[in-house]
Amino acid sequence: MGLSASQAPALPALLAAFANMASGRKGRMGMSRGGGPGSGGSSGTGGHSTLEGAEILAYRPPHERSEATAKLGMVLFLGSWAMMFGALFFAYGVMRSRAPAWPPIDQPRLPLATGIINTAVLACSSVLLFGALGAIRRNARAAASLLVGLTAVFGAAFLGLQMRSWSHMALAGFSPSSGPYASVFYGLTWLHAAHVVVGVLALGYLVLRTARGAYSAPRHLPIRLWSMYWHFVGVVWGLMFVLIYLV
Amino acid sequence: MDHKVIGKQFLWAGLLFLLFGGTLAMMIRWQWAFPGERVPLLGDIFLSRTGGRITPSNYNSLFTMHGLIMVFFAITPILIGSLGNFLIPLQIGARDMAFPLLNLLSFWTFLASQILVIISFFMDQGSGAAGWTTYAPLSTNIGTPGHGQTLVVCAIFVTGVASIMGGINYVTTVIRLRAPGMTYFRMPATVWSLWITAILNVLYVPVLGSAGLLLLLDRLFGTQFFIAGAAAVRGGGDPLLFQHLFWIFGHPEVYILILPAWGVVTDMVSFFSRKPAYFYKGSVYAMIIVAVMSGLVYGHHMFVSGMNPLLGQGFQLLTLLISVPAELLFLNWLHTMWKGSIRPTVPMLFALGTIFVFGLGGLTGLYLGTISTDLYLHDTMWVVGHFHLTMASAVFLGSFAAIYFWFPKMFGRTTNESLGRVHFWFSVTFLTLLFCGQLLAGYAGQQRRLYDPFQYTFLQHLLPLNRWTSYFAFLLALGQVPFIINFFKSLFAGQKAPSNPWEIGTLEWDIPSPPPYHNFEVVPHVVRGPHEFNNPEVKRALGRDWIGQAELLPDAENRQEAVAASAGKAD
Repeated sequence: MGLSASQAPALPALLAAFANMASGRKGRMGMSRGGGPGSGGSSGTGGHSTLEGAEILAYRPPHERSEATAKLGMVLFLGSWAMMFGALFFAYGVMRSRAPAWPPIDQPRLPLATGIINTAVLACSSVLLFGALGAIRRNARAAASLLVGLTAVFGAAFLGLQMRSWSHMALAGFSPSSGPYASVFYGLTWLHAAHVVVGVLALGYLVLRTARGAYSAPRHLPIRLWSMYWHFVGVVWGLMFVLIYLV
Repeated sequence: MDHKVIGKQFLWAGLLFLLFGGTLAMMIRWQWAFPGERVPLLGDIFLSRTGGRITPSNYNSLFTMHGLIMVFFAITPILIGSLGNFLIPLQIGARDMAFPLLNLLSFWTFLASQILVIISFFMDQGSGAAGWTTYAPLSTNIGTPGHGQTLVVCAIFVTGVASIMGGINYVTTVIRLRAPGMTYFRMPATVWSLWITAILNVLYVPVLGSAGLLLLLDRLFGTQFFIAGAAAVRGGGDPLLFQHLFWIFGHPEVYILILPAWGVVTDMVSFFSRKPAYFYKGSVYAMIIVAVMSGLVYGHHMFVSGMNPLLGQGFQLLTLLISVPAELLFLNWLHTMWKGSIRPTVPMLFALGTIFVFGLGGLTGLYLGTISTDLYLHDTMWVVGHFHLTMASAVFLGSFAAIYFWFPKMFGRTTNESLGRVHFWFSVTFLTLLFCGQLLAGYAGQQRRLYDPFQYTFLQHLLPLNRWTSYFAFLLALGQVPFIINFFKSLFAGQKAPSNPWEIGTLEWDIPSPPPYHNFEVVPHVVRGPHEFNNPEVKRALGRDWIGQAELLPDAENRQEAVAASAGKAD
């Protein structure tokens, strides 16, 4: 089954495994769509009906079923990752509860303005991705690839602004080893930014695929799955912003 | 990308590392029997730099890596990677996993983590040496500055990612790809247990992942999540935080490891007593309750960490409560066997052995779950004996039961019955003696992880006990030779296995051994549960004591003919 592997980008391969469910399956689905007892989740309900060889090999659950399966996989993955970020926030809570003052009075403030802009950037990117999903559902491929591309650009802008905040803080003499406050700030934002990097790469890949016309109104599962991922990363940032910058 | 091939790959990888981890265990046992003396055979191979002797720093690596390898790189791939991949689609009537590519990726990610472990042994200051729990601050740069420890933490994170990928796949597969008619309670207990295990994996392994990531940040980028005391800047972080994160994962992890064994035992006991599993729903609910509670009891690993006594009492209560569903499982197993026509096949023997050693392990755990006794027993060999009886003995006997049982289906060959029996008796006898020896040493006050326990006067009289325990360990290792011979002999020269050698009704025994690429030529339509044994109607109609899960009884006319024919024969 090299056909789906060849489409997987190297870096976000984990998520591509979900995303490729639909695109990799398209060719096969065509074969089994012909009907007959082999197509359909209830195949074999007859108990002992015999199938032609080709139909047996082409057996796959129907398109909608496999999309729901892929979405379930993505939901499980995001649930799992929510546990990881939950544990990171728990770590933050423990660190903070032990500190005599938070934030430490003699250490530089976090760049609140950049944080607010960044939150807005990610929020906008999520809205754009909603728009992209709506566009592809109307079969407006050009609009969809434009909107996905804009989302990726906004994601990249977020990363740029994050780097600005890190260098801003580093210039103020605030390095990762400047104590618990610095540990929380750098550690958590780095780990979040790593997820944005994966998302931006995936979105870039989706732009190429969309522009080449790989997705259409009935078949655009990768966009759907990656937008779930992207919104998740955005929500995590929102929490991070509130908990680390504001509270 | 076939799930069966990936299952076999996990089996090979796991067995290889089981041998590796076992070798390390033998060296630890040697050290406790003959401290500081040349290790025969193994010393020249592994310890040539120190003249075949185990030095204190070698020793730290030995027990650390023994634990890590056994938990993450031997048990996990054999029980969860191999059994899960091989069995879940076959037993629920699916043609492959929900995400075959993700499955493949999971194996290669796992393999990468094993390679990281192997590389770590060649680092300057040796492999990881901070204990399998990698407690901070010992596991930070202050305690273990070498790259070996960093690589090992990476390996744990990477193997965690592999576990999560596998877990997502298993959970989705069971929810979405069950054959028509395969309701949840018609799934074999093995699938149930693997499914619950997968859910626990998806939920709790990421917590370990976060601990690993923070530890790596501490080690590589100078953050101070887990560093306190003199090395800390501005008070630093909190070493206890690592313990919390580790055990939030760590306690579900012990159920992740034992649940598949429970599932296998539940099935085996029914299969080879030729009786339906007693109160099957109860067994399943018990496993679910254990899984739900597993996240709520982790504090019993930290009774002596200075936690609030009231909190400790809460954890104590929950810990003792979690043994109630486990007891229900025990009662169900016993009741299933009661008045059954027991077939003492090799898998059944191993299942019974699992029940026995898990019983011992469970009973010794009560003393650790109770604060007053734990204060004395904490960090002694009692703990080591306890978790080896549960996590090692029970889990491995369960794994062997599964390997012997599904070997014909996996490789299409039958294993040698008598070699299997020799393997069983050696294993169960010496596992019990070995770990009961450790329990005794612990009860006498011997702390765990000591390089040379006998440098303390009050432990010197335990030398004979430790020697005997070590002899039992060596005999246990010897007892694995029949398994290795049996495995390879059967693999290459075993008899061709029939499709259903055990006369069992679950779906995988309805197809050829080994199964063809897409498993089921026709996706079966399941009509009954997995443990239909000695149903009188089936006996009358088919003349045997089992019936396939998707097998229809001959219709009424045929039945009458059959009755007439048998009546004719009787005349």
